Amino acid sequence: MGVSCGNQGKLTITDDDVIEKSNLSRQFLFRDWNIGQAKSTVAASAAASINPCLKIEALQNRVGPETENVFDDTFWENLTVVINALDNVNARLYVDQRCLYFQKPLLESGTLGAKCNTQMVIPHLTENYGASRDPPEKQAPMCTVHSFPHNIDHCLTWARSEFEGLLEKTPAEVNAYLSNPVEYKTAQRTAGDAQARDNLERILECLEKEKCVTFQDCISWARLRFEDYFVNRVKQLIYTFPEDAATSTGAPFWSAPKRFPHPLQFSTADPSHLQFVMAASILRAETFGIQIPDWVKHPQMLAEAVDKVTVPDFQPKNDAKIVTDEKATTLSTASIDDAGVINELIFKLELCTKKLPQGFKMKPIQFEKDDDTNYHMDLIAGLANMRARNYSIPEVDKLKAKFIAGRIIPAIATSTAMATGLVCLELYKALDGGHKVEDYRNTFANLALPLFSMAEPVPPKVIKHGDMSWTVWDRWILRDNPTLRELIQWLKDKGLNAYSISYGSCLLYNSMFPRHRERMDKKVVDLAQEVAKAELPPNRKHLDVVVACEDDDDNDVDIPQVSIYFS
Amino acid sequence: FCKNIVLAGVGSVTLVDDRVVTDESLPANFLILPHENHYNGKTLAEVCCDSLKEFNPMVHVAVERGDISTFGVEFFEKFDAVIISCCSLGKKKLINQKCRKLSKRVAFYTVECRGSCGEMFVDLQDYKYSKKKLEETIECQIEYPSFEEAILVPWRALPRRMSKLYFAMRVIEQFEDVEGRNPGETSIADRLGVLKLRKELCETNSLDESQIPDALLERLLTDTREFPPVCAIIGGILGQEVIKAISGKGDPLKNFFFFDAMDGKGLIEDISGPSTRS
Repeated sequence: MGVSCGNQGKLTITDDDVIEKSNLSRQFLFRDWNIGQAKSTVAASAAASINPCLKIEALQNRVGPETENVFDDTFWENLTVVINALDNVNARLYVDQRCLYFQKPLLESGTLGAKCNTQMVIPHLTENYGASRDPPEKQAPMCTVHSFPHNIDHCLTWARSEFEGLLEKTPAEVNAYLSNPVEYKTAQRTAGDAQARDNLERILECLEKEKCVTFQDCISWARLRFEDYFVNRVKQLIYTFPEDAATSTGAPFWSAPKRFPHPLQFSTADPSHLQFVMAASILRAETFGIQIPDWVKHPQMLAEAVDKVTVPDFQPKNDAKIVTDEKATTLSTASIDDAGVINELIFKLELCTKKLPQGFKMKPIQFEKDDDTNYHMDLIAGLANMRARNYSIPEVDKLKAKFIAGRIIPAIATSTAMATGLVCLELYKALDGGHKVEDYRNTFANLALPLFSMAEPVPPKVIKHGDMSWTVWDRWILRDNPTLRELIQWLKDKGLNAYSISYGSCLLYNSMFPRHRERMDKKVVDLAQEVAKAELPPNRKHLDVVVACEDDDDNDVDIPQVSIYFS
Repeated sequence: FCKNIVLAGVGSVTLVDDRVVTDESLPANFLILPHENHYNGKTLAEVCCDSLKEFNPMVHVAVERGDISTFGVEFFEKFDAVIISCCSLGKKKLINQKCRKLSKRVAFYTVECRGSCGEMFVDLQDYKYSKKKLEETIECQIEYPSFEEAILVPWRALPRRMSKLYFAMRVIEQFEDVEGRNPGETSIADRLGVLKLRKELCETNSLDESQIPDALLERLLTDTREFPPVCAIIGGILGQEVIKAISGKGDPLKNFFFFDAMDGKGLIEDISGPSTRS
């Protein structure tokens, strides 16, 4: 396009990332031999070879509050336009704030798989990026995940949750107890609720009933977990809610989307069953610091070890409590004798702690999806797939499981190309200047459907007070080095009562504090330097304060940022 | 577009373009780098082929020399998708027909980027594919008209809000055909001739001339070169469409797409005869 090729032109790009192999499928300025190098420098040289007239500087800083010494006032003031190519909302919000402050156009865009969107933020013409936020992602109701899954997502969410509970939270809880038993017990007694009872039960399980000392113990644990999750719990569920069960209104309980589950039958002949036991026992052993023997990876030998495990019979209970309310947010059900149970648990805990070896500690495991050798994804996939099998939901392979559980949506070249082209078109308009809001375009597209939706950007919200109106882009400017009193009077003349004035996060004045009245005749800039310890570089001529105001009816009025010029 | 499908990792891509590289080729084609001495006599296809190979070593990129309209049906049988650009009306119809004659289904696309405008046409013949609906995979089927069939649909039978760019492109296309010009070989000097042709076509089709604005035709006559941002947009969309067609998954575009940077609109139009309307 020839942007930034003129004498005064300059393009500054910054990225703190290095090139990885997976980037090559769409970041076409990079080649195989660039892997490991900084993205910004390689991109800069690749672009320069496409157009040698390009004046480009490549930096490796992350844009944020910590790099304001690099991206300082001068840097921002000298920019004509800012183009985003960020991968997270927080960074976008930060850049948006900076563009708002320095009154610079911002060309924002993003892609998600085959979807892409572009948004133009033009000073005084459009709303800023942060003015509208996406609604939070919907999460599956707790009872769906816990008892009534109907797709692989639910199974994976459940698997993640169990993984965390069994291998991270519980060992961490055990360590919390062991490192400070007195404090821990007191805390649980004080809380005295279902959560406390839960915690103690789980710790006791780890240290007593299901304690693992040998690797065979871990295998037993894994085999019994299988039985509990995929056999017993399902048997209990279908006992409480048989296939022909009806709800209180008489409708069938097991109507879509609920799927009626079937218990599995463990068999060492089924490789997926064995793999589950393998992954689970290995990770269990890790938490107990037990050495993992090589033979675990040999199906034959593993099968022999598993056969040695005694699996108790299971009888469904008549009075099991299963949560069915979609709006429920917790599964722990409180009972009246929690306090009593807690005391009993603590007693048992004290007994078994005495039997522990000196310095015993567990090792909590943190889920790491990208290490293919750590068995984490193996267990997650195993948990999810066995559960899927219970509910006749199609299973997924380990890679797909990783994608779904990790919420990975691959980035592709096509949507990226489209977003880039659209932003470039808008760039012409922004650089040309003088265009009305109707000339600009925000786009949302989904190449998979395909769907293309273009619209004009939305103007900024206008706030009115009396006969004044302003938007988030406006600044109120006071010159001639005013005092605090003069500032407050200036606002009073506009029908606004300033009751609180801050510089950054520091309060300069608040009408509540009698002491602050002593400050009235001080220059605002002096106050900022004395009270807020403001550091004003030599060429800075102004400072900005945030003023909270009320109108005469005590209603809060959101006023623009106030710039005080002191020289 | 080529960059997109090579990055995606198709099995092979064959380029056909015997036009020689000139200085003019550089501004709109980032596959051609400005190395002065490199290109003596090389064709666009040859230079782009070398560049594209670097993007994904696993894709087989090749060049075929010659006039594509002379290639026999056996040539097209080697491919799953054929995409043509900068071809005359006659060539478009001819190649489309050759693709349709084969027993194997060969997807056919035309793409034109002229200045701030872009047009895409898709012909997947009798197309069966799968897609996800709610939590299940369902099978779907659509029938596509050929390019010739599509442009024969009487203009008065088309919806009122049809993209004006469709008509404008047909006028220019017809003009170039009648005057024996190569695609893109027009200028503002042709203005009167084009407006006259527009008048005739509109009369034959009972379409009001205001549906094909003067300004739009003038832009198409003068800005004939490819414009990078528009190419990026169309290339992204076309890339996605070809991948969908080759994999047989996902709703394909039917059957025209228009983009005009002037109003920033991207429109999908379904221009098919009564028997092939979905």
